[in-house]
Amino acid sequence: GAGPGRSARFSAPWRPTGAERPRRCWPCGGGCSVGHCHPLVVQAAHEQNQVLNTNSRYLHDNIVDYAQRLSETLPEKLCVFYFLNSGSEANDLALRLARQYTGHWDVVVLDHAYHGHLSSLIDISPYKFRGLDGQKEWVHVAPLPDTYRGPYREDHPNPAVAYASEVKRVVSSVQEKGRKIAAFFAESLPSVGGQIIPPAGYFPEVAEHVRRAGGVFVADEIQVGFGRVGKHFWAFQLQGEDFVPDIVTMGKSIGNGHPVACVATTQAVARAFEATGVEYFNTFGGSPVSCAVGLAVLDVLEKEQLQAHAACVGSFLMELLGQQKAKHPIIGDIRGVGLFVGVDLIKDKATRTPATEEADYLVSRLKENYILLSTDGPGRNVLKFKPPMCFSLDNAQHVVAKLDAILTDMEEKMRSCETLRLQPEAALLSPPLEKMKHPTQIHY
Amino acid sequence: MCELYSKQDTLALRRKHIGPSCKVLYAADPIKIVRAQRQYMFDEKGERYLDCINNVAHVGHCHPEVVKAALKQMEVLNTNSRFLHDNIVEYAKRLAATLPEQLSVCYFTNSGSEANDLALRLARQFRGHQDVITLDHAYHGHLSSLIEISPYKFRKGKDVKKEFVHVAPTPDIYRGKYRENHADPASAYADEVKKIIEEAQNRGRKIAAFIAESMQSCGGQIIPPAGYFQKVAEYVRGAGGVVIADEVQVGFGRVGKHFWSFQMHGKDFVPDIVTMGKPMGNGHPIACVVTTKEIAEAFSSSGMEYFNTYGGNPVSSAVGLAVLDVIENEDLQGNATRVGTYLTELLNRQKAKHTLIGDVRGVGLFVGIDLVKDRQKRTPATAEAQHVIYKMKENRVLLSADGPHRNVLKIKPPMCFTKEDAKFMVDQLDGVLTVLEEAIGAQTESVVPENTPCRTKMPKEAPSELLSDGTPDPKENPGQKRNRLCADKPSLLSKRLKT
Repeated sequence: GAGPGRSARFSAPWRPTGAERPRRCWPCGGGCSVGHCHPLVVQAAHEQNQVLNTNSRYLHDNIVDYAQRLSETLPEKLCVFYFLNSGSEANDLALRLARQYTGHWDVVVLDHAYHGHLSSLIDISPYKFRGLDGQKEWVHVAPLPDTYRGPYREDHPNPAVAYASEVKRVVSSVQEKGRKIAAFFAESLPSVGGQIIPPAGYFPEVAEHVRRAGGVFVADEIQVGFGRVGKHFWAFQLQGEDFVPDIVTMGKSIGNGHPVACVATTQAVARAFEATGVEYFNTFGGSPVSCAVGLAVLDVLEKEQLQAHAACVGSFLMELLGQQKAKHPIIGDIRGVGLFVGVDLIKDKATRTPATEEADYLVSRLKENYILLSTDGPGRNVLKFKPPMCFSLDNAQHVVAKLDAILTDMEEKMRSCETLRLQPEAALLSPPLEKMKHPTQIHY
Repeated sequence: MCELYSKQDTLALRRKHIGPSCKVLYAADPIKIVRAQRQYMFDEKGERYLDCINNVAHVGHCHPEVVKAALKQMEVLNTNSRFLHDNIVEYAKRLAATLPEQLSVCYFTNSGSEANDLALRLARQFRGHQDVITLDHAYHGHLSSLIEISPYKFRKGKDVKKEFVHVAPTPDIYRGKYRENHADPASAYADEVKKIIEEAQNRGRKIAAFIAESMQSCGGQIIPPAGYFQKVAEYVRGAGGVVIADEVQVGFGRVGKHFWSFQMHGKDFVPDIVTMGKPMGNGHPIACVVTTKEIAEAFSSSGMEYFNTYGGNPVSSAVGLAVLDVIENEDLQGNATRVGTYLTELLNRQKAKHTLIGDVRGVGLFVGIDLVKDRQKRTPATAEAQHVIYKMKENRVLLSADGPHRNVLKIKPPMCFTKEDAKFMVDQLDGVLTVLEEAIGAQTESVVPENTPCRTKMPKEAPSELLSDGTPDPKENPGQKRNRLCADKPSLLSKRLKT
């Protein structure tokens, strides 16, 4: 099971003093990775804060040590690093690197992608630009490789190849217009798009098409890196041993809340960027404190074996949720890997219509029960789980139990509404639950 | 101080793993800094350097109050701004209190670059206009959107100026189009902006914003003449655009008399958007955009949420608040005025002594020394500036050079810089310049000069060199030709006069 004392370590600080007694909340999403206010990370930041916190124009051990440690987690080719403050800054730099290296301009992205809030990134985030700024002519959108809700589903013989062919088609049409691809940008596991797990083999196929067209593959690991998927340190590694992106961006969980982010790339890409003759200077990026924090996070991940833990708790959570799926028809799909899980809520099993309002209601009921969850996906109907990595088996059990209770309650309410609607008199005579008991209900 | 790697190994690892575009200072002989306190930095050997560069360590490196505030909050909570929290609202309130009333809505980000990018988005969303007027040699950040409006960057690289970007001459009264001898440089420079607006409008383009650093730093420590911003604001707003004051380098009391550098231009100048960063968190990654309710409402009405994962988190806000407290409690603004004035005084005396110094300009603890090969032509002394930087480093003073010609020594130290530090810095500079000028003089003396006409003018010119207030001698004829030997003689003369 879980490591010693892990159930005692909740993911939120607990202060039982004071007139206004703070409630313990179980957060199931956020940028914190090893646990809020982890003492080792706090200590590392504090110790370094007392000694030196300046910019990367001076030599310092922390930045090179951190870069080295990160390089050890990545395929050998990805050995050159740029440090920044946010995932958005990282993705913007990735875009600049790709354009400089390839000499091309256009970008292929996935539908419903979100890569950041900067001007350049809104342009490549359909999640943002659809219905607002509109799509730029140099941005090309490929279908999200969603095997539950996309064009090629779980019943398709080879969705990875099918979705990759869509990218190939996009690339071809771009070339026909006389335009050139600089990059294919994708979150290794699209989060905002609804906790999507791309089918294995998809990325390698896509990379082939993109590279043939002279572009590079950018893997956005900002939401999902650092062991979250359990089986691997980086989510892109789920796509195969041989698959190596040209550029990887990291952020969010990298500093357990401290503003740190990073771009990793190959020497070739880095050299091409240097050849412009223009310096890249990020005032705070790579500072001794940020690097000390980053290093501490790596240490904690290792010491507390949080990657293995994520695999363990993640599969347990999926198991529990799987049982809930069998019980509650509103749950259309459970998908996930490690501590990156999505619960897709639907109105109808056949049509898979997103249960948007129900999801919203569920989230507010969970909040009343001191569980913080949020939704995503274009239908805002996917409950997303990406808790701090110290999330325990007990936490998983607790959340699922609450979820079960609320869903049960919701279903009862819906049934009584139905009954009232169909037979108002009958509802007064017998309790709705007895009347409408589902034959395949599993109680545990 | 226990090192993880030897300096050599650190350098080797850096070459291996850090993007080569990320440059180190003193590339020919980089320094490894392992510790810093107040305005001093220490290398791996324990050698102490006077830091005249790091405006980011605004209240002094590793200030204990700021470190304490960070620790206190890190132990309790560090999460995103989607939850209510006291720190972010308290910080916004304190910041707004330093600004004119209309500037009341804050967006917290992590870097000046993020802040400037958001400022552009706010400006463009406001009326749906697209074009931006920027100043020549401006630098607003490293993001794609900002390189586009930073001639300092795009002129160097292969990037081409975008058609929605318009570059106005930088209001540099020493080296620019209209100089100190012009009747009204502020209006002249502002008229350049007016001209740009008219041309753009004639082509059917619409101005979203005029953006300028309140004082250009990368552009060479440029202080725009009084009245410039007011006139520009009038023209820009007349065209439906907004004014963005980039205070990322120069905010938080650096100019001494005011909290914000734009305030030097008078109460009647209020930008529509102000961006801040760098010194804000004394090294902690914090930045902010402050704007009016009107602009903020237009932005939110687009329906697009603005979420910055780390921006406005409780720790960053606590750190920002601590910095504001220290600025106040230690009267750092007062210090900036006192020490800044003293420093400028000392430097002007140096200018009288060294012909290499073409101009000394500054306000508070934001000072620039413009090095020239020829005072008449104002030819930038680029190589000399580099030489000075390296020599000063040997003398344990950290300075950097900037400006489009990399010839302006920039001084923007931590705000706890003292008069003693100023004296020390200037004494070292004096020594370095003296030796340098002798070397240059020795070089040119070996050339047989046509110096008879110069010798007869010498007595008239010598006193002008010793004008201690730094103003050019009104008797000096700008059209007069002087050969290099003449340029060097006064320094030898002044050396003899020096006691």
